[in-house]
Amino acid sequence: MLGARHDAARAVGEAHSVALLAEGLRKAYGATVALEHADISLAAGKVHALLGENGAGKSTLVRILTGAVRPDAGTLELNGSYYAPQTLIEARSYGVATAFQELSLVPNLTVAQNLLLPDMPRGPLGLVSFRRVLEMGSDILARHGLQRIDPATQVALLPLAERQRIEIVRAMENASSLLILDEPTAALAETDWLFDRIRMMTARNVAVLYISHRLAEVREICSDATVLRNGRSIASVGLAEASDDDIFEMMVGRRVDHTARNRAASRLSDAAPRLSVKGLSGHGLKDISFELRPGEVLGIAALEGQGQRGLFRMLAGLTVPERGAVQIDGLPTTLSSPRQALRAASGIAYLPEERKTEGILAGLTAATNVVLPVLPGAAYAAMITPQAELRAAGPSATKVDMSPRYLDFAIGDLSGGNQQKALVARTLATGAKTLLLFDPTRGVDVGTKQSIYAAIRAFAEQGGSVIFYSSELPEVVQLADRCLALYDGRVFQAFEGDAIAEQALVAAIHGHAGGHH
Amino acid sequence: MALAQFEVQTVPAWKTLLIKSTRGAALIVGIYLILYAFYAYQQPRALSASSFASLMNNTAPLALAAAGQALVVISRGFDLSVAGVISICNVTLAVYPLEGPGGALMSALLCMAIGLTVGAVNGVLVAVLRLQSIAATLATMIICQGIALVILKAPGGSVANWIADEMTGRLAGVIPVSGLVVALVIGTWLLLRRSNFGLSLYAIGADEHSAALSGINTRRVRFLTFVIAGAIYGLAGFMLSAQTATGNPTAGTPLLMLSFAAVALGGTSLSGGKGGLFAAVMGAAVLMLLQKVLFSFGISSFYTGMFQGVALICAVVFSGLLTRLGEVK
Repeated sequence: MLGARHDAARAVGEAHSVALLAEGLRKAYGATVALEHADISLAAGKVHALLGENGAGKSTLVRILTGAVRPDAGTLELNGSYYAPQTLIEARSYGVATAFQELSLVPNLTVAQNLLLPDMPRGPLGLVSFRRVLEMGSDILARHGLQRIDPATQVALLPLAERQRIEIVRAMENASSLLILDEPTAALAETDWLFDRIRMMTARNVAVLYISHRLAEVREICSDATVLRNGRSIASVGLAEASDDDIFEMMVGRRVDHTARNRAASRLSDAAPRLSVKGLSGHGLKDISFELRPGEVLGIAALEGQGQRGLFRMLAGLTVPERGAVQIDGLPTTLSSPRQALRAASGIAYLPEERKTEGILAGLTAATNVVLPVLPGAAYAAMITPQAELRAAGPSATKVDMSPRYLDFAIGDLSGGNQQKALVARTLATGAKTLLLFDPTRGVDVGTKQSIYAAIRAFAEQGGSVIFYSSELPEVVQLADRCLALYDGRVFQAFEGDAIAEQALVAAIHGHAGGHH
Repeated sequence: MALAQFEVQTVPAWKTLLIKSTRGAALIVGIYLILYAFYAYQQPRALSASSFASLMNNTAPLALAAAGQALVVISRGFDLSVAGVISICNVTLAVYPLEGPGGALMSALLCMAIGLTVGAVNGVLVAVLRLQSIAATLATMIICQGIALVILKAPGGSVANWIADEMTGRLAGVIPVSGLVVALVIGTWLLLRRSNFGLSLYAIGADEHSAALSGINTRRVRFLTFVIAGAIYGLAGFMLSAQTATGNPTAGTPLLMLSFAAVALGGTSLSGGKGGLFAAVMGAAVLMLLQKVLFSFGISSFYTGMFQGVALICAVVFSGLLTRLGEVK
């Protein structure tokens, strides 16, 4: 690692021509500004890292560079001349190619066909020559040290790591001036092969934009980094001069304020656990154990895709764990469906991640949406009248500070914030003593956030237990009595009380131990 | 080549065979042969050239409709306009008969042009305006059926004699002409399949997003798919007219649902990216042969639909089982 830093430092010293220069890039989708103002400059023959939290605008920037979307404002220059790709293929003709994070291989075609898309070599009759496709495919694989992969295999049959390698190889084959690697190591266990390939590319004077949340890796292969935050490029730094703490601070943006807040954990630590999870595994989760006590708010902090989704879906009864045991109020329980989770002992209520597809029933009124899980309770002589629904929904709506006049609107017509309030009210209305809230304030405004925070705290003070995941770390800091940082499907580090600080969490969710402990 | 020695996972031969049998048309061809054996056992005349030709004549319209439908289904779409195109072609040929071989050629080209036009409209609606294919083609189907009624109010008219006689006849007394037309379409497909378009068709059917990120012009491929399918429906309308020799403004309607049945029977997944034209044609052939077999067993034609439906369920379940057996690790 020291050697790599040394190399990087030396590379900075050398004169490298600018391969790509982007200034003032901006992209908005409707009212949502994905990228506000991004400047970046990439030198030929060097590896440049793009860093930032989830939603900082990294993917949007990549999509602009690679021609998949067009910026609303800003200019791009490639090797000194104007560059405004309209399509992916046009970007490719300029020698710009991307290995996408979500992998862009077509599953039902063979490895060789995928490598050569969209234009296959043809035989004398103008027909695609399968023999030459295979030959060229195996040549490409051999060039990149992947002889073990049969070019005639269907991509869908390959393990994820091999698919990722093929995605990378395809981008490398098409990149003659700029190679973009978006989370290239997400499925790779080791980096030797990848870094070898990258060095081969830089030796050919190709500029490489490297996006990864693994800082150790970034330090090993990259010489410079640009940090994005909230859609703006904050700074471009030489990695040799910036410490991890500097970088995390640039990513987070500010010193964390430790406002006084009474945390419940110490007060209730003697109570019997309401929920006890032992060795839970499966769906991206590897052997997770924890306990949740009455009155406690447990935060889950993690980057995208570290197993948190699996954890919530298993506890909600939506998916079945591979291993592990769950006890509610000391009773062993098998959670087989959300309905059953709701009825198990003191009950578990789930606020799903996707408001639009898993949460609301758009055509029904807000009141109906709130009382849905407790319809029998709202019924009068087995008949459910709109008046009965309004009466039953009222108290829960008040808890989340939702104006009762919204209750008889169709929920689909309400703002995202009010929809979310109605959904939180629904989980409260179930009467369950444990709430599972997956990103409860995603995409809502500041006022709604405060209302939801207040509702969660009030619920906990009355002895309810809450597990929530948030993609926003400040939220975890503000709300959680205890916090588990997940990394790669395991609890990487646990925090309690005042130890829950944003910078320590950033380090922990990136897999760096030894924050403030 | 070095690659053979580096095989990562070796799949047992029987599994490869199973996978292959579910991918290609082997399964449906097998079913057809077994069914034909039944038919021949019951009706020894079935092996004669004339009865084979008459079976072919009955099968050709559905086979062509299913072939066009299969194209669209492989690209992950549905095309209901097949019924409308066939109806328009049928009434056009009945109202404006063109005699002689030249007239027949003109008629065939006219039918394909009608199909191309409707297909282009579908293509614009689905590929450019991004309507759901089932909604867009439902609309074009209703419009086409309206046009067919404007051209011919009630069943009647008469198709040119040359078409009705020659297109249902036999070449050299043996080879059915209708079979040649179907073979021509399959042959064209086999060439098309080995083109960039063919690969792109399967790619967008399996994963349109990945296909686009791989550099495939998904809009163009989708548009072309509807256009080519439309041309094949036009041929289906032509062959149907040759067989019925008369016009009917609702001629295409019975073929609509059967075309989907044939596609599914041929093992083409209705969720796209898998299957082929030949398998769909064989699916159509099985459906039509089933009618004959039931008839030869003396079962009333009222029961045909029931048997076709049951056969469809069995075939889909069976091919699903085979696939799962083959893919289990």
